[in-house]
Amino acid sequence: MVNVDELRSLAAELLEQGQVRSLIGYRRGTAGVLAEPCTIAAPGEAETLVWDPTCLNNLALFLVEERKQQAAASAPDKRPVGVVAKGCDSRAVSVLLQENYFKREDVFILGVSCEGTGVIDPRKLSARLKGRWPTRVEFAGEDGFKVSAGGDETLVPARELLADRCLECREASPRLNDVLFGEVVTERGFDEPFRAAKAAQEATEDARWATWERHFDRCVRCFACRAVCPMCYCPECVVDSTTFVNTPGTSAEEKATRIRWCERSANVSESAVYHLTRAIHLAGRCIDCGECERVCPVNIPLRLLNTKLEMEAFQQFEYEVGRDFERPSLLSSFRDEDPNSFIR
Amino acid sequence: MPNPLHSNASEAQEHEPRVVAFLCKWCSSAGSDLAGVSRIQYSANATPITIPCTGSVSPMYILAAFNKGADGVLVSGCHPGDCHYMEGNYLARRKLYLVQQLLRFIGLEADRFRMSWVSAAEGAKFAEIVDEFVGDLRALGPQNRLKARH
Repeated sequence: MVNVDELRSLAAELLEQGQVRSLIGYRRGTAGVLAEPCTIAAPGEAETLVWDPTCLNNLALFLVEERKQQAAASAPDKRPVGVVAKGCDSRAVSVLLQENYFKREDVFILGVSCEGTGVIDPRKLSARLKGRWPTRVEFAGEDGFKVSAGGDETLVPARELLADRCLECREASPRLNDVLFGEVVTERGFDEPFRAAKAAQEATEDARWATWERHFDRCVRCFACRAVCPMCYCPECVVDSTTFVNTPGTSAEEKATRIRWCERSANVSESAVYHLTRAIHLAGRCIDCGECERVCPVNIPLRLLNTKLEMEAFQQFEYEVGRDFERPSLLSSFRDEDPNSFIR
Repeated sequence: MPNPLHSNASEAQEHEPRVVAFLCKWCSSAGSDLAGVSRIQYSANATPITIPCTGSVSPMYILAAFNKGADGVLVSGCHPGDCHYMEGNYLARRKLYLVQQLLRFIGLEADRFRMSWVSAAEGAKFAEIVDEFVGDLRALGPQNRLKARH
C-alpha cells in the first residue's frame, strides 16, 4: 500500500530543506472525482497531495514544461524538480533522460506503485455508475477499486474500471525512482501486452483501411494528442509550418515552393499524414501512458498506432521503451539480425 | 461470357502507376545509371530522387509521396555492410521496417511500399525490381487511400 501521509511528509521535507525547487503531483480536483495535476512550491501545500486511481495525467509533461521555462529564465534555479511518478510516468522520464532532454540530477522521482492495478477509465466508471456521480475512487488491493457514489461504497473488480492501457501494462510500478512508495508489482495478468494492436491487425486490409479512414475522417485536428504528449516537446512541430509566415513581401514562388508536409485542412489524407507522422516520431519513444487517446475529443484509438510500433520494437528488435535510459534509443541503434527479408 | 475478373484487370491496365524511387547516390542511383547505359528496357514509371543515403530518408518523405499521389514508393540503397557512411542503411532498415508495418497497419496495400538493396553494379537487378514493382502496382490500380483529396 502506498502511504499517502508518508508521501506528503517527504514532499514537505524536500521543499522545506530546499532539495527541490518545486514538486509536481496530484491534488483533489474541483470538477468531479478526478484528481488534477498540481505544482507545489511551499511545504504547507504538501498536505494537498493525493494518490488514488483517478490520478490519470502523465506528469512527465509538466517536467517538459518546467524545463522549457527554465531554459527561458534569466536566472535558472539549478535545483531539481520533484515529481510524483507512477509506472508510465517514470518510463516517460526515462525516455526524456535517454534523449538528454534534462539530466538525471535535474529531477527527483517520488515513485508510487499502482498497487497491482492501475488508474481508471472515467468513461468506464460513468457507464458503470449509470449516471450517478462518483465522489471517491480508492485502491482496494489487487481485487479492485472502492467506489463511493451517492453515499454508498461498492467494491468494483479492477478489470471493469481499469483504463485499457493499464490492462495491458507490463510494469505497474516505477522502475526509475529516487524513493518508492508501495510494492513492486510486475505480474498482474489482466490482459496480455499489445492485445488491442494484435486484434486490430488481424482484420483484412480493406477492413483496416475502412476503420482508419473513419477515424481519420473524424479527426478535427485540435492537436490535443500532441499537446498532452510528454514526448512531443519540439518547439516547432513538423506538421505546422509556423516559421514560414506569409508576409506582404512573400512572393508567389516562395509560397509555391515551400515544403508543406501536410495541409492544415481536416480531411482524411491530411489527418492520416499527421497521425502517421506522430506515430512514427513516437516509435521507440511512446511509453503507452494513453494520454493521447484519453484527451481525444472524437475518440480516435490513437494508442493502437503507437502500441503497434512498440510491439514491433519489442518483437523484432527486443527493445523495451523506458527500460534503461543509458541504452541507445531504438532508431539510433541496429543489430545485424534485424529483419531483412522484407527488402529485395 | 465476359469474365468480371478479366474486365477489372483490363480497367486497371489503363492506369499507369507512378513510382517515387528514393535512390542512394552511392549505389542504387549508379545502379539505375548502369541499367540505362546498358540499354536495359524497363518500365519508365519510376521517378528517381537521388538521396545521400537511405539513412537520410525521413518517414515524412514516404508519407508525403503517397500524399502527393504516388502509387508506390521504392527506397533503394547499398547492401548491408556496404554503406558509404558505415551504418546508414542499417538504421534505414530498422526505421523503414517500422514505416512499412505502420502503413500496413492502417490498411494501405502492402505492395505499395518497397525497399531494395541495389549496388552500383546491379543495373539488371534495378531494372527487374522496377519492372516487378510496376507490375504489382498495375494490378492494384491507383492509390487513393493516402492521396490528398482537396
